[in-house]
Amino acid sequence: MDVVFNQIFAGVSFASILLIIALGLAIIYGTMGVINLAHGEFVMLGAYATWALQTYAGLGVVTALPLVFLAVAAAGWVIEKVIVQRLYTRPLDTILATWGIGIILQQAVRLGVGAESRFVRGPEWLSGNIEIGSLVMSNYRLFVIFFSLVVLAGTWMLMTRTEFGMKLRAVIQNRGISECYGIEAKKVYSVTFAYGAGLAGIAGALITPLFSTIPTMGTGLVVDAFLVVIVGGLGSLMGTAAAALLIGEVTALFSIVINDTLGRIAVLAGIILLIRYRPRGLFPADTRR
Amino acid sequence: MNSKLSYDIIGLGLFAAVVLFGVPAFFGYDGYELNTFARYLSLAIVSMALALSWGTAGLLNLGQAATFGMGSYAMAMHLKLKASGDNLPDFMGWNNVDTLPTLWLPFHSLTFTLLAGLLIPAAVGGLIAIFMFRARIAGVFVAVITLAFLVAFQLLVVEQQGFTGGQNGLTGLAQLTLFGWTIDIYSVSFYYLVGICLMVALTFGLYLTHSKFGLILRAIRDDVERTRYFGYNVATYQTVIFCISAALAGWAGMLYALVLEFASPTYMSVSFSLAIVIWCAVGGRESVLAAAMGAILVNLAEGRLSDVFVEGWHMMLGLMFLLVVMFMPRGIYGVIVDAGRALRRRGGPAEPVEDPSYDNSLSRKQES
Repeated sequence: MDVVFNQIFAGVSFASILLIIALGLAIIYGTMGVINLAHGEFVMLGAYATWALQTYAGLGVVTALPLVFLAVAAAGWVIEKVIVQRLYTRPLDTILATWGIGIILQQAVRLGVGAESRFVRGPEWLSGNIEIGSLVMSNYRLFVIFFSLVVLAGTWMLMTRTEFGMKLRAVIQNRGISECYGIEAKKVYSVTFAYGAGLAGIAGALITPLFSTIPTMGTGLVVDAFLVVIVGGLGSLMGTAAAALLIGEVTALFSIVINDTLGRIAVLAGIILLIRYRPRGLFPADTRR
Repeated sequence: MNSKLSYDIIGLGLFAAVVLFGVPAFFGYDGYELNTFARYLSLAIVSMALALSWGTAGLLNLGQAATFGMGSYAMAMHLKLKASGDNLPDFMGWNNVDTLPTLWLPFHSLTFTLLAGLLIPAAVGGLIAIFMFRARIAGVFVAVITLAFLVAFQLLVVEQQGFTGGQNGLTGLAQLTLFGWTIDIYSVSFYYLVGICLMVALTFGLYLTHSKFGLILRAIRDDVERTRYFGYNVATYQTVIFCISAALAGWAGMLYALVLEFASPTYMSVSFSLAIVIWCAVGGRESVLAAAMGAILVNLAEGRLSDVFVEGWHMMLGLMFLLVVMFMPRGIYGVIVDAGRALRRRGGPAEPVEDPSYDNSLSRKQES
């Protein structure tokens, strides 16, 4: 049983990381229908920004978070303005264009910073573990889980309790009519894309102490995060959260029943079946599209 | 219509002349140089296969590399068995596999191998297609399902080390013997074999796109619902083109394994699969000929430029791809077609536009 509890905790921990990455992706996909394959590279940018801030400015991971958010959001904003905005009428092409952006960002980092792995220290005050019986929980992972819930709550507040959120939901429901009411859909799209990118940046900052920071680190993550979005259902925040938890747990538990690789294959197969039978995801939001 | 049949035949003729006569002459019938070019030609086949499903029928298959990999592994398994003679293939011993797995047994036969390289990808592609298209899965979801399948398949191949050689793939292969002819991959005749394979594939592809079948596929691409209301069974057409595309990819994979003399899981990686999409998009996905040329051009550029800009090459590739997607959504082919149309409009009598929905057809079908 000890193994199971530890694996459940590992699953929750993985789910919390997936959640932050997937939230940004879900917002971008839910709002604009853009499948952002460069999202993993935004995570990578966030990780490298944290590394740079720690190495050159001496900032800790947690203090660097707001700066990383702003920096990656700015990068996302520019990319939206210059590239993605021209492709809203061609959603299939956005997959290809964002893949191209991903290659460019990855290579830019490889050329600028180097391909070797970079290390970022976790914060001192979160270094220990909490042990309950045989269950060992690292403080830092607990912090990441807590922070992912904060981000989820914050995003939910933004979507439902602010004027921007209202405009955003209006544009999701019907872009044409909301424009007639004076909402600048273009602006809403830009800000949303930047916000989604910023969330990816935060995710990157949070995972640097756990993963090795290399230029290709985002590629694997974006596949997982994207599957979370599809499973969760379009435009539904709580669905995304539930799907992140589900996929995180299933992956973690499968890896003790069978091995890691077969567990991943099983998860992928499950996702293919899910798309086939429930293409709107497990928890679709009620929107008129 | 896609483009006039006569233009395509002229194009194919010119292309064949360049590939079969120009290129060997240019390299002075030197086998080593031609071997590199034979590699581009085999990649051209997989690119044109994608053009059939993506450009013609509008099904973006991001898992094309999976069927390509199946073909290459089929060929490599045959050659590995041949190289091992009566012994077990060496990597099996390292992985504690004592007897030859049943899966491998039929690959002793060349006929079976050649058929398997075409039919196994076709069958797998067909199953996925039936699975997707019966449920009317379209657009982005086709891309996601095929991508997920590709990732799962590659994981499986790497995982089953004892059967597939794992991460290392299948290396140390024998030379293929075809009708008593032992193929030396550094010979000019091998180059002609690959070149003729490409020409056969292209002729077949052109025949398909100009047939009624191709017309219906384009109708499906441009407006699925309307085609369905006309009484066509959309899922069947989509499934058939998916099978054909997968079989051609398997064929390309077999040739590729021959050219490089090994099969590796990297043939089934996501980046390789998207590279196929890049070649196809750069050349022009609406025309099989253009897609094949796109593969050759991009790979030729990669071969030449990656020596000069070792680090920067990938960035240039990404940038080129981005620019093509943004400003030339129909690839080089689209630019040429538009330029030709503009020229004709300026000089000579005005020619009626063949199909009013032609210009925005690609942008419209993606709305769904």
